[in-house]
Amino acid sequence: MPEPIYLDHAATTPVRAEVLEAMLPFYGPRFGNPSSVHRWGRDARTALDEARERVARCLGASPDEICFTSGGTEADNIAVLGTWRARRDEGRTAIVTTPIEHKAVLASVHQAAHEGADERFVAMTPDGVVDRASYESLVDSGVAIATIMWVNNEIGTVQPIAELAAYAKSKGALFHTDGVQAFGKIEIDVRTLAVDVLSISGHKIGAPKGIGAVFIRRGTVIEPLFHGGQQDRGRRPGTENVASVVGFARAAELAVAEREEEVARLRRLRDQLERAIVARIPDATVHGAHAPERAPHILSVSIPGTDSESMLMALDLRGIGCSAGSACQSGSVTPSHVLSAIGVPPELATAAIRMSLGSLTSDACIARVAEVFPALVEKARGMARAS
Amino acid sequence: MAERVLVAMSGGVDSSVAAALLVEQGYDVVGATMKLFCHDDDLPDRPCCSLDSVNDARRVCQSLGVPHYVLNLESAFGSDVVDNFVQEYAAGRTPIPCVRCNTFTKFRDLLHKADGIDARWIATGHYARVAGGELRRGLDPAKDQSYFLWGIDRSVLARLLLPVGARTKPETRAIAHRLGLEVIAEKAESQDICFVPDGDHTTIIRKKLGDGAPSLTPGPFVLSNGTTVGAHAGFARFTIGQRRGLPGGFREPMFVVAIRPSDRAVVIGPRDELLGRGVIARSINWLVDAPPVGTRVEVQVRHRAQPAAAELVRADGDEIEIALDEPVAAITPGQSLVLYQGDRVLGGGLIDRSAGARSPLPVRAA
Repeated sequence: MPEPIYLDHAATTPVRAEVLEAMLPFYGPRFGNPSSVHRWGRDARTALDEARERVARCLGASPDEICFTSGGTEADNIAVLGTWRARRDEGRTAIVTTPIEHKAVLASVHQAAHEGADERFVAMTPDGVVDRASYESLVDSGVAIATIMWVNNEIGTVQPIAELAAYAKSKGALFHTDGVQAFGKIEIDVRTLAVDVLSISGHKIGAPKGIGAVFIRRGTVIEPLFHGGQQDRGRRPGTENVASVVGFARAAELAVAEREEEVARLRRLRDQLERAIVARIPDATVHGAHAPERAPHILSVSIPGTDSESMLMALDLRGIGCSAGSACQSGSVTPSHVLSAIGVPPELATAAIRMSLGSLTSDACIARVAEVFPALVEKARGMARAS
Repeated sequence: MAERVLVAMSGGVDSSVAAALLVEQGYDVVGATMKLFCHDDDLPDRPCCSLDSVNDARRVCQSLGVPHYVLNLESAFGSDVVDNFVQEYAAGRTPIPCVRCNTFTKFRDLLHKADGIDARWIATGHYARVAGGELRRGLDPAKDQSYFLWGIDRSVLARLLLPVGARTKPETRAIAHRLGLEVIAEKAESQDICFVPDGDHTTIIRKKLGDGAPSLTPGPFVLSNGTTVGAHAGFARFTIGQRRGLPGGFREPMFVVAIRPSDRAVVIGPRDELLGRGVIARSINWLVDAPPVGTRVEVQVRHRAQPAAAELVRADGDEIEIALDEPVAAITPGQSLVLYQGDRVLGGGLIDRSAGARSPLPVRAA
């Protein structure tokens, strides 16, 4: 079998060599606890402080606005539950969100609802973007926080975060965005954005799994989820994961520095793949294709008469790794809540394949997938007709 | 190039050893666990269940070095198997969901998945064999599962591998140990219906049809002469031949001899009323060329029954009638009638009713 092709960078990415190299000393001589008084502690503290400054710079934030977390899920939980719990006594009990959020946000909003929040879901257009009229009708003086993801992880549509955040601000609501898929793909500068809270994750940009961060704008009060020591100003107690924090800072710097060039490269490859698939399979539906803005690295396509589960198996056995919607814990494929929410009919939603490009994606990969995928589709459909 | 086989893996010892044997035999093995139902489906945020069996199957595949996938067949299984199960009880019959699962889920839906990955073969851990293009009983009489396989499409036989069908259960366990599959080697047999884990099938009926379902509503116990002799809590709790839960005070042991949904009656009677001299079965499926009327066969009217000598006396499309040489007890609507000649499985169908005059002859062990 030819070299396998990894086309699932929205799920995770390999740790970059530069990142691993930056981390190694912290698994060796620089092992100290940043809270310790002695030289080992000071050394680790220095690394942690520097890393915080570097991540802050990547977002246009101040270092004290960066709180390191175990990843995107924790960042989203802090953003939604931390802010909502801190504001619930102000008479603002509503949360506005979309039905296409990552489960980390949706489940946090459900939890808040369980604790008394009024959850309000914004209508989506069939193109996969927020319906502005619906959004504006829902964001009122009762809203504690609006949380809307920047780039959708399944279909790659981009929400107009600057405008949505400004509107929320005008109504006195906080605004959070899950920027996990946006970071490194879209320019983020919190100095020019009315975003109060923003989540990012390491392993989507070449850092290890288990590290992420949440930007919390100065003056935004959050109730911590964990209880313990005074690390990270008490916002996130627990001895800091110094090695991963350092790796994350390195990955973030690289992602920001390479962003424009990499985005152009990925967009070219993605468009090439999309054109090839649509040319070979004219009735293929590309989800979010008509959104005003699309992330460069995600292609979500449904082929009528196929099912995701069989296609993923067939692709994997040909050495091509993709995904469907969100995978559940047992690894089985369930219809995507994102596709359902934008009005994709069930027979197409259960046929969706997400291909996500990144550092491992070359011209040769795309050329091969453009050959193999339509061939597998033809086979699968031939069978569906025969049976 | 090695031929690819898609192995249905439940996480149990039989299907695990089936996969392991196929790896040893040089096949390109792909393991798949079918996710068929969810005990927690009233908890919307917990879509994954039967996780332990999925994990066991995955661990086995990891140790065999073969890929493993989870196939979500919940919706098809729900309509093909679970809904039918509930409807059959509502109609006063006693269904065998495993038969429909084999017919539809395993050997139709799984076969489609096999097509999609270019798998020439599919395999399961059933104790049955395929030889000469025909289905045969498993070699271990204590484990033979051919009774549950009569409904599969005949064309499937040409693509079906049943690697443990020629083994005994102890041999299968020994192979599991030899291959180092300690995760599953001593796993207990699953006895229950997979979606009825506590053995109480009325739970699923109640869940699907509600508390007011007629089959769960009180009705009379009656004798075959029409006399009412008591009341029961719902006829879905009864099956033909059952003794448990019947009113007492009779000279002879009493059995359920019929279930009548029209007036929710459970008819009880002494042993000789249980006997049937013939069987009418419908939804017939042949795994060989349909045999002519007059063919001598052995039949089983339930799993683990002794085969009974019989003759095919009528065949009209998908309905047949069988005349038994000796009467058989507790011929139960909804169970399967399977026709054999020695080890060969000729075909089978769903028992509609017993046929022919009831006989006072002594009961054959059945």
